[in-house]
Amino acid sequence: MDIERAGGRGANQLRPIDCSRDVLSRAHGSASCSHGETRVLAAVFGPKAGTKKNENPEKACIEVIWKAKTGLIGKIEKEFEMILKRTLQNICLLTVHPNTTTSIVVQVVHDDGSLLPCAIHATCAALVDAGIPLKSLAVSLCCCLNESGQILLDPSKLEEQKMKAFVCLVFPSSVHSITPEESTPATTKSTEQEIITSLTHGIMAVDDYFHCVDQGRAAITLLSNILKKKMRSQSADNSSKAA
Amino acid sequence: MAGKLGAAAATYSPSTGQRRKRPTIQTGSELARPDGRGLHQCRPAFLKTGAVNSASGSAYAEFGNTKVIVSVFGPRESKKAMMYSNAGRLNCNVSYTTFASPVRGQTPETKDLSSMLHKALEGAIILKSFPKTTVDVFALVLESGGSDLPVITSCASLALADAGIMLYDIVASVSVSCIGKNLLIDPVSEEEVHQDGALMITCMPSRNEVTQMTVTGEWSTTKINEAMQLCLDACSKLGKIMRSCLKEAASAPQD
Amino acid sequence: MAAASGTNDLSSEMELDAFRRLFPLSFHERHLLESIRPDGRPLGRARDTSLSLGAVASANGSALAKIGCTTMLAAIKLEVMTPTVEAPDEGCIAIDFHMPPICSPLIRPGRPAEVAPVISKQLSDTILSSGTIDLKELCLVSGKAAWMAYLDIYCLDADGALFDAALLSAVAAFSHLQIPVVSLNDDGRIVLVSEENGGSMKEKEPVNKEKIKLKMNSQPFSLTCILHKNYILADPISEEESIMETYLTVVLDTNYQLVSLNKPGGPGLASTSSIQDCIALAQKRVKELQQILSEAISDMEVD
Repeated sequence: MDIERAGGRGANQLRPIDCSRDVLSRAHGSASCSHGETRVLAAVFGPKAGTKKNENPEKACIEVIWKAKTGLIGKIEKEFEMILKRTLQNICLLTVHPNTTTSIVVQVVHDDGSLLPCAIHATCAALVDAGIPLKSLAVSLCCCLNESGQILLDPSKLEEQKMKAFVCLVFPSSVHSITPEESTPATTKSTEQEIITSLTHGIMAVDDYFHCVDQGRAAITLLSNILKKKMRSQSADNSSKAA
Repeated sequence: MAGKLGAAAATYSPSTGQRRKRPTIQTGSELARPDGRGLHQCRPAFLKTGAVNSASGSAYAEFGNTKVIVSVFGPRESKKAMMYSNAGRLNCNVSYTTFASPVRGQTPETKDLSSMLHKALEGAIILKSFPKTTVDVFALVLESGGSDLPVITSCASLALADAGIMLYDIVASVSVSCIGKNLLIDPVSEEEVHQDGALMITCMPSRNEVTQMTVTGEWSTTKINEAMQLCLDACSKLGKIMRSCLKEAASAPQD
Repeated sequence: MAAASGTNDLSSEMELDAFRRLFPLSFHERHLLESIRPDGRPLGRARDTSLSLGAVASANGSALAKIGCTTMLAAIKLEVMTPTVEAPDEGCIAIDFHMPPICSPLIRPGRPAEVAPVISKQLSDTILSSGTIDLKELCLVSGKAAWMAYLDIYCLDADGALFDAALLSAVAAFSHLQIPVVSLNDDGRIVLVSEENGGSMKEKEPVNKEKIKLKMNSQPFSLTCILHKNYILADPISEEESIMETYLTVVLDTNYQLVSLNKPGGPGLASTSSIQDCIALAQKRVKELQQILSEAISDMEVD
């Protein structure tokens, strides 16, 4: 039943995650995040005064610059920029700093699959490091589907290429939202984690997609706890140093 | 994927393998045109305003295989760097689709066309009627089938009228090619390739004023006079068609 | 909410157009309460859609798709390439999406639209991963020559649901594509065999005997929906897209398999049930679009 994976991983087993903040001195906030061999560096600058053209000046504007490991900026980078920007619009409190622009530079250090989740975690940590107000963290996960509909979590680059289809999901880290507008509707199903971002590639049955979503939901609590712990331990380090 | 796209540069468009015939070059008093028209006969024209809903005004023109869409935006705020100006500004841009020409990517220099279009329209627009602001005229050539610039100019003038920009008169434009001893009005691409000289007139038919005239190649004075007369006659006919197109659009019930 | 009731009071005092421009969100929400949209559509209905094939004479395959006011022109040009060593009997498809300045007041020449490369990437991902076209069909001579299909899609009028219209025009252009009769000449180059000189060139065997149409496996069709509070608005216009920013695009093939489910962030969240509702709407839409495409093809064959 179980599929052979490199490094003897189980189908539901994630690669080791590491995340450290404050890795760059010039940026207002920075973080480096790794999922196994995949590694991404993120830097936050801002908020700076003014928004770009065609943006709403009554809200904070987010600008994402995606730098690939090598090569020129192409369509793939533009798509990542758009997805990351729109995902961050969901978790940032945009009304706190109206008419400002926050720039986020994402540098891919190494891509070994599940690049977008790694980039999202790095960016979140960098935003926390910069002190940008957030509603919640964004927690992200990739799943791969093989021909028989089995699901592998956190695929490596090789697995992404071999598999029939893959799904990338982003969830908010906590169900309890701090904004009053969203916490008021007294819906009973509020325990269900809703989706910020969903991307898929390859053909799959509709049911398989929902299996992936369920698997993702199951893993997300654990993942967000790991991330929070990593970020917290570091702020404890820093405060002890400062003291 | 990236590797596959990288190989794309080495593609070529298959040809028929034999030299292209030069149909219009055969000497003789009456030469046959590729589309069977008479020498002094224009291609059938199809004009329609309101082709693009998100623009202030727009028009679509189809002359044989030449198909053009022009959108007009504005009058709207000028670029920040622009100095104060009592008169309005006109900004023109012409672009081609990648499939406009028979071989992909072989499109003509659009900077020249943009400035030619600007000069052709400038004289007909009452720029004083929109001070401090800019009117943008953007043209896209969907298919290039010869006499592109005259079609773009005529279509742009319709789009300006559709946008409600104040004009002294509509602008009609027609070109003539000279091949050997013959004058061919409204040439198609194949004829333009083999032409010895070309003449284009852009005019305001009801005011009988010329806003632009270009002459290229070798011409004798008598030929120029003949060609100009030919163009002006065709312009006034085209002007009538454009006028009826605008009237039709205005009288049609708004939906 | 105090702010909302304040605007409601104003709405009786000001003209409709002014209210629409000043309080666009409450304008739309008041329509949604009545389960109708400003253009008179119910929430789940897409705009009128039309297709015409063969709009561009100079291309090997082309189609013009209109969804409401959104207009897309797609054209395919075939060129010859040398296949790669890894896939000697496969052709290639290069897809590009353009937004020329004529299509929207927000786009200026020289500064390409931000969404254009993103839609371009999504289109090529969707079309290539859907498997609707077998790249082996584009092969001419194994290892020597294959077709490179350049698909260029131009947005002529941008009024929302750009991806849906672009995908529809692309699929229609592929179903209109005719592969011309060609033969291999002595220099190893592919040349066209035109009908009149076909007889004189009998000594060379044409690579394909007659004009052929590309076989297409189950085609992908898409539907974009806006998620706003508990409402789902199918096939939004650009005004709705700019006011309610959370959208979700479902691409299904004709066997109702999921080709892509794309929800790129946005201020709102998607629950499982709303995703299921969107998929159900998309399934209905696939039926409609399939019907429209087959009608366009049969119209073409009558001509």
